[in-house]
Amino acid sequence: MKYVDEFRNPELIRKTADEIRRWVDPDRHYRIMEVCGGHTFSIYRFGLQNLLPDNIELVHGPGCPVCVLPMGRMDEGLAIAEQPHVIFAAFGDVMRVPGRRGSPLELRAKGADVRMVYSPLDALKLALDHPDRQVVFFAIGFETTAPSTALTLLRARDLDVRNFTVFSNHVLILPAIRAILDSPDMRIDGFIGPGHVSTVIGARPYEFVAREYGKPVVISGFEPLDLLQSILMLIKQLREGRSEVENQYTRAVPWEGNRRALEAIAEVFEVRPFFEWRGLGFISQSALKLREDFAPWDAEVRYGVQGISVTDPKAAQCGEVLKGVLKPHQCKLFGKECTPEHPVGALMVSSEGACAAYYHHVYLRQAAGE
Amino acid sequence: MTEPSRLNLAQFGSATLSEDGCATCGDVAVPVQVVEVRGCEAVVEDRLGQRVVVAVDFVPDVRAGEILLVHMGVAIGRALGGVWSDEIRR
Repeated sequence: MKYVDEFRNPELIRKTADEIRRWVDPDRHYRIMEVCGGHTFSIYRFGLQNLLPDNIELVHGPGCPVCVLPMGRMDEGLAIAEQPHVIFAAFGDVMRVPGRRGSPLELRAKGADVRMVYSPLDALKLALDHPDRQVVFFAIGFETTAPSTALTLLRARDLDVRNFTVFSNHVLILPAIRAILDSPDMRIDGFIGPGHVSTVIGARPYEFVAREYGKPVVISGFEPLDLLQSILMLIKQLREGRSEVENQYTRAVPWEGNRRALEAIAEVFEVRPFFEWRGLGFISQSALKLREDFAPWDAEVRYGVQGISVTDPKAAQCGEVLKGVLKPHQCKLFGKECTPEHPVGALMVSSEGACAAYYHHVYLRQAAGE
Repeated sequence: MTEPSRLNLAQFGSATLSEDGCATCGDVAVPVQVVEVRGCEAVVEDRLGQRVVVAVDFVPDVRAGEILLVHMGVAIGRALGGVWSDEIRR
C-alpha cells in the first residue's frame, strides 16, 4: 500500500490528532457532520472517531443517494422494468435496493431483463445494440453523477436514439444541507463538505452555510489524513469564532467547479419543485428532472410515472439514523432482521450507507472480539 | 508507466477502475492518467495499470500524461496543483 503512504502516514496522523486535541475546547461538545457517504465509509474503515477527543462527535449525513432514494421511486422504476421489451439498466449500487416487491436483482430472477452498467453511456450503447428494445436507464446520484447522465442524454439527442430513456432520480446536495440546517432537532456545528461533488459544483455554492447559518464548511478528500486535517480546520474555525468555506481538497476541487459539466447539467435538467428523500421527507428544489426539450428521452413521460409515495417498513429507523438522531446500532432491526445480506432499510444496502459501513467495520469486529 | 506517475495518482485516493465501492454514494472519482486522446474520448490507465476508454467532454484540451478524475465513465475534473498542506508537514 505504498501508494497511499502520504495520506495514511501514522506519524502525520498522530501529529494531526494531537493538533486537534490542542485546539479543541474541552468545555464544549462538537457535532460535525460529514455529508458524504464516502467520508462515512472512510471514518469507519480507518476508525477515525477513535483518534478524536470524546467531545467531537461525527454525525453521518444524507450523502448516499441509494440510501435516500424513497421506496416509491424504486417501485416505479421496477414497474417499468417489468414491461415487455424493456431492458432496465442501472448501476450495480442499485441492484439490491429493496422496493415493496423486491429488488432489481430479485426482479431479474423472475425474468425481467435487468442489466448492470458501469456508465450511463453503456446504457446508451445497449440501446444502439438493441434497436428493437426500449432501454431505460435508472439514473441516481448527486452532482458527481449528474454530468455523466447529462452527457449521455446529449449524445442520445445528437444521435437521435429513440429507444432510450432515463428515469432520473438525481438529487442535489445543497438543498439537503439546508434542510438539515433548518431541522429543529439537528444541532450541527460544522460540515465536512463532499469531495467529488465539489469537483463539479466548486466550493462557492456552500457559502450560504457560512453566511446565512454561521456554520463552517471544509471540503475534504477521502483519505484518513484528509479527513483529520479537515476536522482540524473546522475546530480552528469554531475556536476562532469564524464561519467560512475552506477547501482542504485543493488537489481536486477548483473554487468555481467544472463549468462544462455544470453547463451540460443545466442544458439537460431542470430543478423539480420538490422531491421525497428517505428519512428527510419532501425537500423543495432538491432534485433534477429532464427538461421538456428532452421529453422523448424521459422515462417519466414515456411510461406515465405517477409519483407514488410509499411508507418505509415501520420498524426500520432509517430516518433517525439518516438525521444523526440515532447511531446505526441503536436501530431496533440493526444486525437482526436488517443485515447487508438481507437489507430492510436502504442504509444497509450501499457499502457507503451508514448502517452497512458500521456493520462491516465496527459491529463484525466487535463480534469477533477484536 | 513510470513509478512516479503512479505516486501522483495515489495522491487522489485509493479507488481503482475495478474497485470503487458504491460509486454514487461514495462520491467516488477514480484517479487515472491519460494514455491517448481520441477526440472526445481518451484511453486512461489507473494505478494498477487497468485501461478503459472514458469521455473527456468536460475536461477541454486534455493531453496525454494528465491526471483526470473519472466518475461513471466520464472525466469530471483534472488534477490541480495543490497537493498537501505545508501546515501538516510542519
